[in-house]
Amino acid sequence: MAEYILQARNITKKFPGVLANDHINFDLKKGEIHTILGENGAGKSTLMNILDGIYYPNEGEIYINGKKAHIRSPFDSMRYGIGMIHQHFMLVDTLTVLENVILGLKDQSFFINKKQIANKILEISNRYKFDLKPFAKIWQLSVGEQQRVEIVKMLFRGADILILDEPTAVLTPQESEALFEILKKMKSEGKSIIFISHKLNEVMEISDRITVLRKGKVIGTVNKDETNPVELAKMMVGREVLFRLQRKPLERGEEVLKVENVEAYNDRGIKVLNKIGFTVHRGEIFGLAGVAGNGQKELAQVITGLRKATNGKVFLLGKDITNQHPLVIANSGTNYIPPDRLKVGLVPNLSSIDNAILRRYRKSPIGSGILVNYKKAREYTESLIEKFNIMVPRIDAPVKLLSGGNMQKLLLAREISENPALLIAVHPTRGLDIGATEFIRKKLLEVRDSGMAVLLISEDLDEILMISDRIGVIYEGRITGIMDAKDADVRKIGLLMAGSTEEESATVH
Amino acid sequence: MIRFEKRESTSTSLKILIPTVSIILGILIGAVAILLKGINPIKVYQALLIGAYSSKYTFSETLVAATPLILISAGLIVVFKMNFWNIGAYGQYIMGAIFSSYFAIFWSPHIPKLIMLTVMVIAGMVGGALWAIIPALLKAYWEVNEVISTLLLNYIALFILKFLMYGTWRDPLSHGFPLSKPFPDNAQLPRIIPHTRVNLGLIFGIIAVVVVWYLLKKTKFGYEIRVIGENPNAARYAGMNVAKNIIIAMIISGALAGLAGMVQVSGIIHLLQIKINPDYGYTAIIVAWLAYLDPIVASFFAVFLGGLASGAYQIQITMQVPFGIVGVIESAILFVLIGSEIFMRYRLVFDVGKKKHSGQEETL
Repeated sequence: MAEYILQARNITKKFPGVLANDHINFDLKKGEIHTILGENGAGKSTLMNILDGIYYPNEGEIYINGKKAHIRSPFDSMRYGIGMIHQHFMLVDTLTVLENVILGLKDQSFFINKKQIANKILEISNRYKFDLKPFAKIWQLSVGEQQRVEIVKMLFRGADILILDEPTAVLTPQESEALFEILKKMKSEGKSIIFISHKLNEVMEISDRITVLRKGKVIGTVNKDETNPVELAKMMVGREVLFRLQRKPLERGEEVLKVENVEAYNDRGIKVLNKIGFTVHRGEIFGLAGVAGNGQKELAQVITGLRKATNGKVFLLGKDITNQHPLVIANSGTNYIPPDRLKVGLVPNLSSIDNAILRRYRKSPIGSGILVNYKKAREYTESLIEKFNIMVPRIDAPVKLLSGGNMQKLLLAREISENPALLIAVHPTRGLDIGATEFIRKKLLEVRDSGMAVLLISEDLDEILMISDRIGVIYEGRITGIMDAKDADVRKIGLLMAGSTEEESATVH
Repeated sequence: MIRFEKRESTSTSLKILIPTVSIILGILIGAVAILLKGINPIKVYQALLIGAYSSKYTFSETLVAATPLILISAGLIVVFKMNFWNIGAYGQYIMGAIFSSYFAIFWSPHIPKLIMLTVMVIAGMVGGALWAIIPALLKAYWEVNEVISTLLLNYIALFILKFLMYGTWRDPLSHGFPLSKPFPDNAQLPRIIPHTRVNLGLIFGIIAVVVVWYLLKKTKFGYEIRVIGENPNAARYAGMNVAKNIIIAMIISGALAGLAGMVQVSGIIHLLQIKINPDYGYTAIIVAWLAYLDPIVASFFAVFLGGLASGAYQIQITMQVPFGIVGVIESAILFVLIGSEIFMRYRLVFDVGKKKHSGQEETL
């Protein structure tokens, strides 16, 4: 029993409408690096937040060294020797390294012996070759150094179990390498590490064992030496390939969208689009598959004008629309279903009418002069509600009262009704129930049949396989492969998603 | 265990209940303060009501106090709707008073009244708007927190006023008091009710309320600021120009506060001095919030809080209760009102009978 330092039994966590963790069992051996692998929304972060005491599970128990642990807050988890390093650092920018390390520690005396603490920080820092200065301010440090401060913080508090939530997402490749060296050193000193990731190559490099989660369930735990990226990709994305939805056989029409060598940076200033290029044609759904965080979000933003491309060109129907104002791009025939309907696509506190006219309030007949014709706006909203069968409590009730499915229907209705040449849909069915999901997918096929070009960006591979005509795979901001959906093969896509090039993945067969 | 749970929607009854409870609690807290002075608060409130609403004259004084509140709160509602916290109506009001007073002090008293007053109205609005554009630009282009910038500009405006009143604008005949020379008749807003101080400013206020209501309910601008206020990401996604709207909204807000300052010097005081009651700029924030940013409802709350102020002058004289008591009541109302915001978004849930964990540690 003592072999396992941490065991989670039957952990179940429900959020409204979602079963984030479904009877999860998970064991961590002393002195191992154990990776939790899974797509976005698989439940990795929820499970880790439970171990760290941020969430409390609806069911299930946690055992530390064989004894049942009651973890109700991060303070409790610290007492059990668990330290979590979040993806978004929990540091105070304007304070020093030392101040951040002791922040929240309860056993400090009123007068703080900074010298003694600084020595202890230096000792930890030197042991792992962190090269940290205890009196440097956090804002002066690079992202990699800040992450090391987080690690020191946990070690200072005596953590034996370290949880790293997608630690490499914010790092450059060199910084990632350095982090892996640190993790290996800590492992050799008996620390146990839970490593969360969805990047197969680094998982294969660093892990001893790997547990794969999908849709809130454990798919399996494997030893690194007994597995390979192909198997992991299969476990991660799911085996069952659903039937492809019915569609009109259509010849590929004229080119609507052309993306050429586009480069762009994310909000943290890291390059996330790396000379990406592809085309989307009339009458086709081009499905872009990929693990979250490989540049999908930024790609959609660049095409719609919400993010600047630093290099490359975007053409719509042959016209250069690179870095144009979002309004200009929308008016030249692009509509966009953003990934986050509540944060970007809709205004939750405003009514269905106000939300329905977001694309139309400037144009006649709803917009007239400086005024908005709310009578026309109401009629228009009523027509959308009827045509798309949207259930609303009242037409002027805030849209936050609608179910997720009906919100998405409203958003889809609004965007499709502009009858654009190109529709970009990012995660159009995320978090929706089966009925709404099916409705949205059918609608996407319908507009494709009518000749629209659809760019579907999704992490749900099933969805991509079900409705796309062609499939492209994005990895680290570039296209690793494009194939016809009819000859698509999950294994191959899984490998491309993990960063192998098309030639490499061909040799695996 | 008591915990908060997110509300799905806010009921209309709550929107009535919370302001009502806030006002009652404000009055109760005021009562405690009065009791500490050893005076019967019931009698004080009685006198306050009489002082505010009992006769034609006292009610007219209530309207006089309500006029700047109506003007300023109408403007504040425009910017508050887009989640821009203009705390600077105080300074914008002062700048409006200064700009319009320039013409009253330095232009000839023989200019036709209509021209003079038109110029003063425009000058007052321009003065307030200019003072409001500064924080708007800072916010729109450099993301400077508007609460701090608007608040600090209040002090700068006050010191500009003091500088002028102790300096070049002081009336040589004022025996050293910081007063300008009295405004000539052509620079005085006409009274609209005989034998009272109610002046044309009240009509300006009513027009402002109607215009703001129309702007918010019917125009594209009103639609855009609603979207920006509720979800700036969606606004950008729809191609709205957020910076431009912040600037326009602040121009409107500042212009109305500046107009209120002009009305005060031209319609009531008839000269420029250091004490021109810019505190209306803060009281108007309470008015706007009590009305949940509805300009028409706000004008009624303006009359209510105006009554509190004018009644307080009465009790100060008749019952030796300091005028400051109104400040206590007003701040208590705002405090409770803002504190109650949490009940608009969350409901209290009482968990009963949650099983305690046994202390014994089980082994797997």
